[in-house]
Amino acid sequence: MRWARGLPTIFDPYTTTDSNTVDYAFGVYDMLFGLDSKLVPQPQMLDSWSASDDKKTYTFSLRDRLSWHDGTPVTAADCVASIRRWFQTPGGQLVNERTKDVSKVDEKSFVITLKKPLGVLIDQLAQVDVYPLFMMREQDARRPPTDAVTTHIGSGPFKFNEELYVPGASITFDKYDGYVPRDDAPDGLAGAKIARVRRVVWAKLPDPQTAMAALQAGEVDVLVEVPADLFPVIESDPNLVLENLYKSGFDYFLRMNCLQKPFDNVKARQAVLHLINQDAFLSVINPSLKGNRNVTSLFGVNTPFSNDANTNWFRKGGDPEKAKQLLQEAGYTGEKVVILDPTDWTEGHNASLFLASELRKIGLNVELASSDWAALVARRARKDSVENGGWSIFISSLPDFSLTSPNSAAFMAMNGEQGWVGWPQDDQYEVLRAKWADVTGIEAHRALAREMQQIFWDYASSAYLGHVPALSAYRKNLTGLIGLQAGRLLMWNMRKD
Amino acid sequence: MVTYIFRRMISAIVVMAMVGVFIFLLVRLAPGDPADIIAGRAATDQTVADIREQLGLNAPLPVQFRQWAGNLLNGDLGMSVFAGRPVLQLISQRLEPTISLSILTMILSVTVGISFGILAAWRTGGLVDRLLTAFSALGYSVPVFVIGYFLIYFFAIRAHWLPVQGYTPIDGGLGPWFVHLILPTVALSLGYIAFIARVTRASMLEVLSEDYMRTAAAKGASSHAMLFHHALKNAGVPILTVIGISFAYLIGGVVITETVFNIPGVGRLVVDAINNRDYPIIQGVLILTSGLYVLINLAVDLAYTLIDPRIRY
Repeated sequence: MRWARGLPTIFDPYTTTDSNTVDYAFGVYDMLFGLDSKLVPQPQMLDSWSASDDKKTYTFSLRDRLSWHDGTPVTAADCVASIRRWFQTPGGQLVNERTKDVSKVDEKSFVITLKKPLGVLIDQLAQVDVYPLFMMREQDARRPPTDAVTTHIGSGPFKFNEELYVPGASITFDKYDGYVPRDDAPDGLAGAKIARVRRVVWAKLPDPQTAMAALQAGEVDVLVEVPADLFPVIESDPNLVLENLYKSGFDYFLRMNCLQKPFDNVKARQAVLHLINQDAFLSVINPSLKGNRNVTSLFGVNTPFSNDANTNWFRKGGDPEKAKQLLQEAGYTGEKVVILDPTDWTEGHNASLFLASELRKIGLNVELASSDWAALVARRARKDSVENGGWSIFISSLPDFSLTSPNSAAFMAMNGEQGWVGWPQDDQYEVLRAKWADVTGIEAHRALAREMQQIFWDYASSAYLGHVPALSAYRKNLTGLIGLQAGRLLMWNMRKD
Repeated sequence: MVTYIFRRMISAIVVMAMVGVFIFLLVRLAPGDPADIIAGRAATDQTVADIREQLGLNAPLPVQFRQWAGNLLNGDLGMSVFAGRPVLQLISQRLEPTISLSILTMILSVTVGISFGILAAWRTGGLVDRLLTAFSALGYSVPVFVIGYFLIYFFAIRAHWLPVQGYTPIDGGLGPWFVHLILPTVALSLGYIAFIARVTRASMLEVLSEDYMRTAAAKGASSHAMLFHHALKNAGVPILTVIGISFAYLIGGVVITETVFNIPGVGRLVVDAINNRDYPIIQGVLILTSGLYVLINLAVDLAYTLIDPRIRY
């Protein structure tokens, strides 16, 4: 089985947020809990778990016959070390802050003791959007997260084949015969993980046309990410299927630098929201228009918390007159606006060029700073004025699913210079965001989401440009491919006839 | 001759030292560093800073240079930041596809290019000459990736004669190795065939118009003897120069071909390394490539003496 797709460059899911690394980790490592297709956490490596009456002590027991790829058994000590390592990443930060102790009870059981109850503890242990909690061997998990693990020894259904690894070109997974799947049916990341093929090769085919030709010729079985201009070719080939397996899709957004002129003024930021016509941007980002949607909720389009609070004023967009008026009220006097333009990312580059032309229409003095993504990342971290190497706006995208967790999604924070680039700050919003961890039940979270969104759009640190599906293509003789709402394509359960 | 070679080796060392300093500074002048890439898109500044510290990127540049240059003198090109493997091992792993493609391309380009050039010169002004000149213009003008897509479409997708992409190592069988290299070799060769054919034709025409060629013809020498014994040998120096230059350019030119045909060679290794800011790989590949350029130039200069006895060093 051959997949054409991006490859991880780092193999430690605690070191990087790169989605290729996380996808690799889903094959090689296993998790305590797995989200089912309805995004509800279900025990995966666990046989059982329980919480004390005061909700401050959680006890977890591992399933029988779990083993690492080197044949040694998975123990509670491995899990404790993995959780402690996870605590050092932004993904585990919240649980770490609330935890008094994590300790082993016996070879198969361990306990998390909290300082005070944490309503979302199990959700956090199961989350897969940023730094998911994968179990590693104790000796690997003792390393700091900044020191990447390179041993590739997990307890998941697939083993990494070291001999066939060609860095940057291909990686090979073999079925791990020692893996014991659960008895229940496969359901997203939950249930039985049954490897039905002996070997899966991920190959990086850097040229999309060649990747397409290889799929048509049967040299690869799955093309994980398909550029929009190839959709008609796939749809016209009777041997191929085009499907939204990465069910999450991506939300494109622009981020403004709230520390520097002109976007240190809320009216200038709101002007941008009035200006953005998502349909126009979507036609630039995904010209096929297949599956495109507008996104106005801070919480995305497909998450349980998506809502319409405070969205009416910018929902329609495409109002340059209103934008001009707000710019004037903001006292704009022709300061330079620098858009960071990633030329090695086609969609981002096209959207940046279009954004520049739109902003010029309302009188902004726009300059495009073109570079590759790596240089963009370096420059966007700078808080200086544009004259001193700073920036004003950049465009990026994030999986829609990641907007379910305000605790861990850096984009959703408004904690000023301590937070993610753009550095929006609103203390009232942060109080609400902190509450997210403590409330329980979906209705309570939905109510909180509306309150947060009210403030988020008043502040207007970012603007959505639209929601684009991430379609995959595969040959018709493949069955059982599992795509997730959580935006992942999994290797188990699939078979080739 | 020995003194000449010795002098050239000394100057090569000086050149390589300058290249080393230049490469080291160049990769660090580019904005961004490996820590940004390792941490990923959604990472916080603190995470990036921690990784930067872990990688030793906060050390002053002279300290980093001293460490790299010291290792280099001991034959150690360092470790890849991402793959966690020695750079030399990574390059060795990628060398076979690139060398295979380069050698096959040069064999095809030289044999066909020189043959076309001789043929065109022999039948100058005729139909064959015009056809070959048109072919040369086309081969020289059409980008290699366009030729690649055409070949893939007709020979792999439509006819199913050859694979679309990929590479099979030579120890996996000579047949699969060769079959995977046919399309990339043809795609890459066309430009070089055109280049070599044009230079051969021009060089041969110049020699064929010399007095001694008329004398040979008057003495009743056969066309074969005139072309291959008298003309080609005297036209050899510029042709050899062009072949040398082509081979040197080929090292950089395979990048696109490797990308189009998904061949995991050195070209793709260095492109990925540049995108990821994997400093040790970029530095290692560029140092070795520069060394190869110097050696090819030296080899071409020495080969002149074999073709033209008048040349002495």
